[in-house]
Amino acid sequence: MKKVAVPEYRVGEKVKLHARAIGTAMVESVYPKTVTTQYPRERKKMPDNFRGYILFEVDKCISCFQCAFVCPANAVRAKEAPNGRYYPTIDYAKCIFCHFCIDSCSGGALKTTKIHDVAYKDMDEMLTLTEEMIEPPEIIREDKKSVEYLIDEKDLHLKRVREVDTLFVAVTPPVEIPMVSQCIDRANCIGCRVCEEVCESGAISSSAENGVLKMKIDTDKCTGCGLCVKECSMQILRLVRK
Amino acid sequence: MIDINSIISEMTTEGSQVIIPLIQQMLGLLPDIPMIKLMVSFILWKPIFAALICPGFSTLGILLLFFPWIERKLCARIQWRVGPREVVRWLGGIIQLLADTLKFIFQEVIIHKDAHKFYFLQFPLLTFIPALLPILFVNIASADAEYPLVAIQSPYAIQIMLALICLFPVFILGMGWASNSRYAFIGTVREAFMYFAYEVPFIIAVLAMIILFGTSGSVAITEWQSTWWRWGIICNPFAALAFFIGSAMATSRLPFEIPEADQEVAFGPFVEYSGIGFGLVYIVCYEKMYVLSALMTMLFLGGGNGPYIAPLGDLSGAVWFLLKTIIVMTTLAILRPIYPRYRLDQGLGMGWSAILFLALIALVLSIIMRSVGMVL
Amino acid sequence: MEEGEKNRNIRILHSGVFTPLRRWGTKWSLWPCHFVTSCCGVELAHAFACGFDGERLGTLNMGIARQANFIIVEGTITRKMAPALRIVWEQMPDPKFVNVIGACGQRGGIFWNSYNIVHPSDVVPVDFFIPGCPITPEGLLRGVRAVQEKIEGRDRTTIEFKHVDLPSVEKEEHRVPTTPKIFAPTPAIRVDVPREVDWDFGKEVVNNLKAQLGGLYNSIAITDKNRIAIKTTPENLMEVARKLSDSMGIDHVKNVNVIDVAHERKFIVEYMVSGYSKELMPVIITIFTEIGRETEAEAEPGFPSLTPLWESANYSEREMHDFFGVSFEGNKGMNEKFLLAPDTPEYPLRKDFKVEEELYVLEEGVPLAPTIKPPEELTMPVSEETLDEAEKNDEMVACIGPHHPGSGHLRWIMRLKGDVIVEVNPDPGYVHRSMEKLAENRLYIQNVPLFERANISDPINMNLGYVRAIENALGVEVPERAKYLRTIMAELSRIGAFFYDAGIFSLFTGHSTGFMYVWAIREMILEAIVRMTGSRCTPSFIIPGGIRRDISDDVLELTRNFTFAIDTRLRKFEDIFVTNPVFIARTKGVGVLTREDAIRCGIVGPFLRASGVEYDIRKAEPYEVYDQLDWEATTGDAGDCLGRFLGRLEEIKQSVGIVRQAVDAVKGMPRGNVISEEILGEYKEVSDDIRGYFFRVYGNLVLPKGEWTSITEASRGTLLYSIISDGESNVPYRVRVVTPCWMNLRGIIEASKGERVADFWTVYGSFGYFPPEADR
Repeated sequence: MKKVAVPEYRVGEKVKLHARAIGTAMVESVYPKTVTTQYPRERKKMPDNFRGYILFEVDKCISCFQCAFVCPANAVRAKEAPNGRYYPTIDYAKCIFCHFCIDSCSGGALKTTKIHDVAYKDMDEMLTLTEEMIEPPEIIREDKKSVEYLIDEKDLHLKRVREVDTLFVAVTPPVEIPMVSQCIDRANCIGCRVCEEVCESGAISSSAENGVLKMKIDTDKCTGCGLCVKECSMQILRLVRK
Repeated sequence: MIDINSIISEMTTEGSQVIIPLIQQMLGLLPDIPMIKLMVSFILWKPIFAALICPGFSTLGILLLFFPWIERKLCARIQWRVGPREVVRWLGGIIQLLADTLKFIFQEVIIHKDAHKFYFLQFPLLTFIPALLPILFVNIASADAEYPLVAIQSPYAIQIMLALICLFPVFILGMGWASNSRYAFIGTVREAFMYFAYEVPFIIAVLAMIILFGTSGSVAITEWQSTWWRWGIICNPFAALAFFIGSAMATSRLPFEIPEADQEVAFGPFVEYSGIGFGLVYIVCYEKMYVLSALMTMLFLGGGNGPYIAPLGDLSGAVWFLLKTIIVMTTLAILRPIYPRYRLDQGLGMGWSAILFLALIALVLSIIMRSVGMVL
Repeated sequence: MEEGEKNRNIRILHSGVFTPLRRWGTKWSLWPCHFVTSCCGVELAHAFACGFDGERLGTLNMGIARQANFIIVEGTITRKMAPALRIVWEQMPDPKFVNVIGACGQRGGIFWNSYNIVHPSDVVPVDFFIPGCPITPEGLLRGVRAVQEKIEGRDRTTIEFKHVDLPSVEKEEHRVPTTPKIFAPTPAIRVDVPREVDWDFGKEVVNNLKAQLGGLYNSIAITDKNRIAIKTTPENLMEVARKLSDSMGIDHVKNVNVIDVAHERKFIVEYMVSGYSKELMPVIITIFTEIGRETEAEAEPGFPSLTPLWESANYSEREMHDFFGVSFEGNKGMNEKFLLAPDTPEYPLRKDFKVEEELYVLEEGVPLAPTIKPPEELTMPVSEETLDEAEKNDEMVACIGPHHPGSGHLRWIMRLKGDVIVEVNPDPGYVHRSMEKLAENRLYIQNVPLFERANISDPINMNLGYVRAIENALGVEVPERAKYLRTIMAELSRIGAFFYDAGIFSLFTGHSTGFMYVWAIREMILEAIVRMTGSRCTPSFIIPGGIRRDISDDVLELTRNFTFAIDTRLRKFEDIFVTNPVFIARTKGVGVLTREDAIRCGIVGPFLRASGVEYDIRKAEPYEVYDQLDWEATTGDAGDCLGRFLGRLEEIKQSVGIVRQAVDAVKGMPRGNVISEEILGEYKEVSDDIRGYFFRVYGNLVLPKGEWTSITEASRGTLLYSIISDGESNVPYRVRVVTPCWMNLRGIIEASKGERVADFWTVYGSFGYFPPEADR
């Protein structure tokens, strides 16, 4: 344990401390260590992993609903597209930019951007539909320079570059772990067909033979979204590796 | 009945016109119309010039428009940031105060239900009387000049200025009282206490200088300090220090920003003022600072004394005077980024112990110097 | 809000004479009246401090309603705060503008289904909404620019989306999946599930207790290492407590908790107590009893209060009274609401009070957030007794806050005798966002960002505490590299929180330069955190079993370098502020809390250490890698404002040392593997970056049955999480959070008694009080 004592100062020391405070101010008024980023004329460079507005790629989406499930603020809700599948929409009036949705998206359909400075005049506009999330949006920018923080072993410096920073980053897709749905206990299937109804890729099919309902999972079509596993009322489906 | 002719003859007597070689030729180009000539010589008539142009109304106005900007920029620089910048960027935001003023002027003025309406409205305006009148007694001419440049010459100039300055807190008390709010109440009481704290040492410090100079006329004081080693600050540094701390207290600068402490009592007496009402009290604080700085320049920094600048003629002294005043004002302003705020009892304690002691030393020093005749 | 009100101010500006001048003046002189209700206030401060300097745009922070013409609503407006917002708005002179920043102020953000929030747009007309949680300073300044452009006549949203048509080939009907949350309908709740642990001292204590308590207890169990649970009856409770206090030296209450077991018609009431003697430091003894729950929801069951014995229980008991309607007999504050607004629903934490359920599918006509009716009553009364008593004694009652430049968002009701404070009564709850209720309705993993928002000046420690409680319950061992990285981040967060407090402290003493200097340092810390995690203030980066992704070496190198930059800049700060004689005169000997007083009030953390108690959880019950690094905890004897401040300053120097050591250690380790394999299960490939499998891994987390308590040394003191799990649901049955600021509130009240009015802010500043953390 380290004891921190409260100092005692005599008059002479006090004068010295006054002088030191005034001296510091004088030095700073001549050689200031200014660290100001003059937004909106300049823009601070954000790292590539910055959590900003979210873009969406339709082709990679398997409609697994995980983004909607994991969203702590319930900002992501899936919306039915004309092709009958569900794609995410984001309500930026609720979004907290935790990017749990991006981290849950196994296909890599959701991507981050570095957009974070937006003002809406109306709260209704803040709901961003799937259709609007595909192409990079345009924001009003007044910056001509970009600023980067450089920290050497002594101090922080601002490096100003005369370039307009791009706000869209190339993202490497996440690791692929192909999974498929599998029934582990066929005997217990009650034939409610919930799995078939919920499956968005059409991998689960049912056929009635001799009055007995037979369910089949097409492993080629199965995207491993896990919805059937979650919905199965008997809990007899599992996700396994392909 | 005003005798126009006698005024005109007084205007045109020797030495009663401000002579500035730089613009004298331009004046010659003016059309030869008696009325315009009369107007020009009226404005250049020294008492009027002092009251209206320098150090009076115009100088004050321009200074008030730019000084808060200087203060904010300086603060910002010390605080590692930029300060007001974007309004008319190529001027570096120098007209920030103009924007603020326009906003104040066109803003709604709210008189809340509990306020004493009559006093609430008139006190911000009335404060200008003690803040403006002392300027009339300021002499900005240098000692070399044959004729002084001052609006009202009086052998009791310093005393009158002091009396007017000491009237100032009364109006702030009035504002606080008329606001009828708890914060305003606390702030007003604090203002009253601070008034007690600084007034005695402040007056003693000035008294010390009057004793030292042996006169209290603004012209004579400037003449007395004709060379730099006879400046008040060098002859009696104790008085200068006491006066400076006293003015920091009087203008509520940090570390004595006790009545207005915005984190504690939310601008104290001014908490309920909005729009142009607040604009006036905001400006009047700087005005008080200007008056006190001018007084400091006169008493301690040799007034308008300085090397003569030929093209400026009579204005040469004015330039030096203003320069010194601005330096004093900046020094007062720079206290803001350096110091936190003292507590009320500490401020009061300092006023009645350390500063009073300092002022008394100054007084004794002056008396000794005067009686020994060391410098005379 | 009526439609006509929305653009009224623009119409005022555009009518009458001198229109261009009026517009120009207003445009460049927007003086914001900050409504720093919660997290976004920290980013607001960044936007107006040296990192971005909003003053460039002519916006001078004012904070006083009459002189400002622009409100920036930073975050949540609670039911209690809404009248204040309306009053301040009405006090402001026309023309005036309102920006709402942060998701909480729009549709509620993460608190969208809370019982205690309102939407600011229902209270005042809003000009611009800025998304983010919290917003970035750039976002805030973009909002200022947008208002400036609106004044010029260009009212527009600053983002434009391009519409791309979605494929529309085939059309199939799909069934919409149901909620991922599993609630056990009638779970069996136990808080004393015994656990076999290797803990000899505990067995000794239990034997001791059994001998001493005689017939006063029903059962005693060791529930975990350093955790003991004693079950007793309400009648015997006081006796048990007295015995513990007398014989064992138990001297403070860490937590008062009520669990509503509605289906069994009972409340479980528990007190977590401990002592500051050397061997008892890490031990938490839970004394709990069960009381019957009335059939009528309104009735308030009575329960003996322990406040007469341990004063530190006082505020928590009043809080529990608000939440559950359990009346603690013997506590004086039982007849009024403390945290909640007068019109908040009664007893919101009882299980029969339900919050809005999530919807996972967007449908036309279904509102995106519940409609909330804002309070109509605009008064915020002070209790009659206070007024009467003050009048009798010739005192003045002054209310500081909830909207005051130096109040923070709570109200202090001061009774003044001249310039001396007779008593200060707190009126907290202006930022109460019902985290504990919301946590009962979210998945375990969704609560990570929720609890982080209790305190975004110290987000990582808030996050770490919750995650450690889960890890402890699951028995998960965190990989070494992740432990080091977590330590680095936690210490960065601690430094950041200290500088936050130091900045507020210097503002409270009137020193704006001190504020700016530390905010420049904070800007560097946030830069390090944003490069590590991608978010400036709310990383949500620590997850059960590790961290979300590995951190690259150059970011670590940068972190190490900036510890040196901190030193450089800290010296300047010391020269101008810490050793400034005026500051020392203001703080020395002011607000002294002796060791006994400090323990009695239950204050925690560095503030307790400043009064001479050597209690630092990082030493007493080491977690992460604190026991492997070389550092020292700090204490002091003075117990005054200066002592508290200097103690924390020294702690920062230690933290900087910890960061350097940890960075050096991490650099030597192999990369990857930052998430425990036990928790990853099948998805072992993603142990260096969880991306893609987050929900798969964490969506169905279920904790074993029992109560899981973790204590963490957050920057402002002991942070206690207590999770009660029923062992079946994937949502917690109850989460109790006791934040350090909540415990320190009592200390502020004690320390400012008898001081002068101006000293109140010194005491307040020295305690580093952060209202959202206290109110949760």
